[in-house]
Amino acid sequence: MLKKIYTQNFGLVGFYLVIVIIFSVLSPVFRTPGNINNLLTGFSHIGILAIGQTFPILLGGIDLSVGAILGLVGMATFDLMLIFGLPGYVAIPIGLLVGLLAGLINGFLIVRLKLNPFIASLATMASFRGLTYAISGRQLFPNLTVLAIQDPTYLAIDGTFGFIPRALVYLLILAAATYFLLHNTKLGMDLYAVGGNENAARLAGVNVNRAKFVAYLISGLCAAIAALILTSRMTTSPEGLGIGFELSAIAAAVIGGVNLQGGSGSTSGPVLGAFLIGTIYTGMNLLGVTQYAQPVVAGAILIGAVGYDQFVKARRKKDLQEQLLLQSLHQMKKGG
Amino acid sequence: MNKMILLQARAVSKRYDAVQALFEANVEVYAGEVHALIGSNGAGKSTLIKILTGAVLPDTGDVLLHGNQIPHGDPKAAIDAGIACIYQESNLVPNLSVMDNILLGRQPTRRMGILDRKAQRARVLDLLKKHDLSLDPDAVVQSLSTVQQKEVEIAKALSLNAKVVLMDEPTAWLSQVEVEKLFRSIRKLTADGDGVLYISHVLDEIFTIADRVTVIRDGKVVLSTPIGETTKGALVQAMLGRQLSSEVSTLRREKAEKQIGPVAIECRHLSRAGLFQDINLQVHRGEIVCITGLIGAKRTELVRTLFGAEPPHSGEVLIDHQTVHIRRPLDAIQRGVGLIPEDRRRDGLLMNLSMNHNLVMGFLPLVTRLGLLAPDLVRQMGQQQVDRLGIVPSRLEIPTRHLSGGNQQKVLIGRWLAGNTGILILDEPTVGVDVGAKADIYKLLHDLADAGAAILIISSDMEEVMTVADRILVMANGGLIASFEKGEMTQEQILNAASGELIK
Repeated sequence: MLKKIYTQNFGLVGFYLVIVIIFSVLSPVFRTPGNINNLLTGFSHIGILAIGQTFPILLGGIDLSVGAILGLVGMATFDLMLIFGLPGYVAIPIGLLVGLLAGLINGFLIVRLKLNPFIASLATMASFRGLTYAISGRQLFPNLTVLAIQDPTYLAIDGTFGFIPRALVYLLILAAATYFLLHNTKLGMDLYAVGGNENAARLAGVNVNRAKFVAYLISGLCAAIAALILTSRMTTSPEGLGIGFELSAIAAAVIGGVNLQGGSGSTSGPVLGAFLIGTIYTGMNLLGVTQYAQPVVAGAILIGAVGYDQFVKARRKKDLQEQLLLQSLHQMKKGG
Repeated sequence: MNKMILLQARAVSKRYDAVQALFEANVEVYAGEVHALIGSNGAGKSTLIKILTGAVLPDTGDVLLHGNQIPHGDPKAAIDAGIACIYQESNLVPNLSVMDNILLGRQPTRRMGILDRKAQRARVLDLLKKHDLSLDPDAVVQSLSTVQQKEVEIAKALSLNAKVVLMDEPTAWLSQVEVEKLFRSIRKLTADGDGVLYISHVLDEIFTIADRVTVIRDGKVVLSTPIGETTKGALVQAMLGRQLSSEVSTLRREKAEKQIGPVAIECRHLSRAGLFQDINLQVHRGEIVCITGLIGAKRTELVRTLFGAEPPHSGEVLIDHQTVHIRRPLDAIQRGVGLIPEDRRRDGLLMNLSMNHNLVMGFLPLVTRLGLLAPDLVRQMGQQQVDRLGIVPSRLEIPTRHLSGGNQQKVLIGRWLAGNTGILILDEPTVGVDVGAKADIYKLLHDLADAGAAILIISSDMEEVMTVADRILVMANGGLIASFEKGEMTQEQILNAASGELIK
C-alpha cells in the first residue's frame, strides 16, 4: 500500500523533499527536532480539513464552508463548557454532531434542492459564520473573553502520546481510515463512480444521492475534528476561528492530486499537500521572510508543485499512449 | 421457437415539451429472440430504451418483464428485474479499472461493505473468458482504445446475467471482426433463452442477427414483423414513410471528368512519430476523396494534423500549390479549410447554445458591424443555412442538444458553409445519422463538390464510401497502402486492403 501511495504521489514526494532540503540548508533552526515537532503538530488540522475536502471534490463538488463549520463547532463546545458548565466528554460528541449536522445541511442543499455545491457551500459558509457570532459566549458574556477552557478531558485532545503529538496521530488514523474507505469498500467505489461519471453510476444502480450525502458529512466531520484540536490547543474559541482555512484545505487537496473535475485522487496526497503548505510557511517564518511576501512566495511554490506534478503525469500518460500504440500495431500484424 | 413474452412495453408514451417523443408504443421481446428496433433519428428509439431501463419516466404505459410490472424511472429496479443495456454513449467511469466498471455498483463484498477483490477478479475473468473478450481487468478504462471500451460496456451488460439485453447501436464503433464477436455473444444469449432488443442503423446487421423487427416512426410503432417476411426496401420505406432506397442509389456519384479542378490541398511525406508515416495525398477541387480503413488506422490523427489541431513531425502541407505552415486550426480556417470532427458532441458543437450560435460561430467577423455582433446578420446567416440544409426543426433558437444526430451534423456542415469554406474534411460524417439525413448529406456533398469544393472524407462505412467517393484511399497502420479510382474497385478488394492484405 505504501508503494502505491508513493507512486500515486511521486512528483509531490520528490518536490516535498527538495523543499525540506532547501530550508534545512538555509535555516539551521529548521532542522531541529523542536521545529519538526512544530511542523507535524502545527499543520495537522489543515491535513484533516484537506482529507475532508477530498470527498466533495472527488464527486466534482466543493465544500467552501469547512472553515465556518470549524468556527461553529469550536464555539459550540466553548459555550457548552463555559456557559452551561458541561464536562468535556459531553461537549466533544456534541461538537462532532454539530459538524455532522452542518455537513447534512450542505448535503440537503446540494442533493435535495439540487443547488450548485459552490453556491450552496458559499451560502452556508456565510450562515455558519454568522451563527458563530450570534451564539458567541464571548459576546454574550464579556467576562468569558478572558476565561480559558480548563476541562481536562478537552485539553487532553491536543496532548501527546509520549513524544508523539496527538493531533498527528488523529491525522494519520483519519488518513488511513479514509484511504481504506475509498479503496477497499463498496462505498468508496461508489464515490469514485459518481465522481467519474455520475450518469453511468446512476444507471448501474449506484445510490448517487447517498454518495453525495456521505461526502459532505465526512467533510463536516473532519472540520469538527479540526475544531476540537484547535480549540483544545488555544483553550478558547475566537469567532473568527478558521477563516480562510477552506482555501488551504482546497489547495492541499488539489496539490495532493485530487482532480477538481472529480473522479480521481485519494486522501494520501492531500495530507502531503497540507504538510507541503505548512512546511513552506514555517520555513519562510524561520528565514525571516516578511508576512506580506509569504503568501506570494507560497503561491509561487504551490504553482511549481502542481506544475511539476502535472508534468510528471503528462509524461507518464504519453508513455502509456505509446505503449498502447505499439500493442495495437503488434496485434494488427498478428491479425493481418 | 418458444413463444413466451419476456419483456413488454405496453402503450408507452412520453412527451418532451412540445415534442411527442413516443406515443402508445407497444414492443414485445420473446424469449430466445433478437428483436431489432429501427427508425430514423428522433423517431423515439432512444426514448423507448431509456424508459425500459428506468432512466426516464414515461408519461403513461407500463413495462412488464415476465408479465410483472417494473417500477418506472428506477434503474436499479430494472437491473434487478433482469434488464441490462449497452447504451449508445459511453457509460463507463474513466478513472476506474475494467474490473470495477464491469461490476459497477455490484462489486462483491464481505462484511460491512468491504470489497472482496478476489471474488470480483474471479467473476470478471470468468466472464471475459466465457465471451472471448481479451481485456486486462486491472487496466484503467481511460487508457483503453475506443473499441476496448466498447468491449468493457458489452462485458458489463453481459455480467448482469440479464434476461433481456438492450443494445443501442452497439456496433457503431466496432470493426468487422469485433462485430462478429459481438454477434457470437448475442447468439450465446439467445441460445440460453434470453432476449435481445437490438437497435441499429445498419440494415445488413439486422438481417444477419435479428429474428423480428419493429419500426418506429415519429414516436409510433409503424411495423412489427418477422425478419423473413420483410425486405430492406420495405423497412426503409416504413422508417421514412416514403420510398427512399432508390433515391439513395441514384445518389451514387457519376464521375464527371470535366469537374475535377486543380489540386486544392496536398501533403507530402507527412509524418507523426508513432502515429502515421510518410503520407502523400492530394485532393482536387470538385473531387470527393474517401479515406477508409479499420479503426486504429490513424485516419483521424492524419486529418487532425492537416487541420492544425496537432503538429506534424515532418513533411509539408500545400494549399493551392503553396507550402503553408499550419500550427493551429485558425491557420487552416483562414486558408479555407474546415474540419467536421468524428465526435460532434465532444469536438464539434456547443450543445447548450442555440442552433443559430453554432451556425455562425466559425465566422463571427462576417456578422458584425463596427466590431459588434449584429443580431439581424446573425439571424440572416443562420436562416440561410437552415433553409439550404433543410434542418428540422427550423427554429433558430432551439438548443443544439435537442436536435437529432443527423440535424446536428447538418448544423456542423452549415457552420463551414457559412464561411464559404472551399476545402472540407469530414470525419465519419454519418455515424449515428439516419437514412433520410444521410441522403441529404450525400446530396449536399455532391453539390458542394460540383460547385468546386475539395472534399476529404474519413469513413468506415463501405456503402458510404462506394456511394460518395470519386477516389478511395485505404489506410492501415498509419500508412496509405492503396488507392482506387471510382469504378475500379469492389467492396471486397477495399476490405482486403484495409485489413492489411495488399492485393497488388
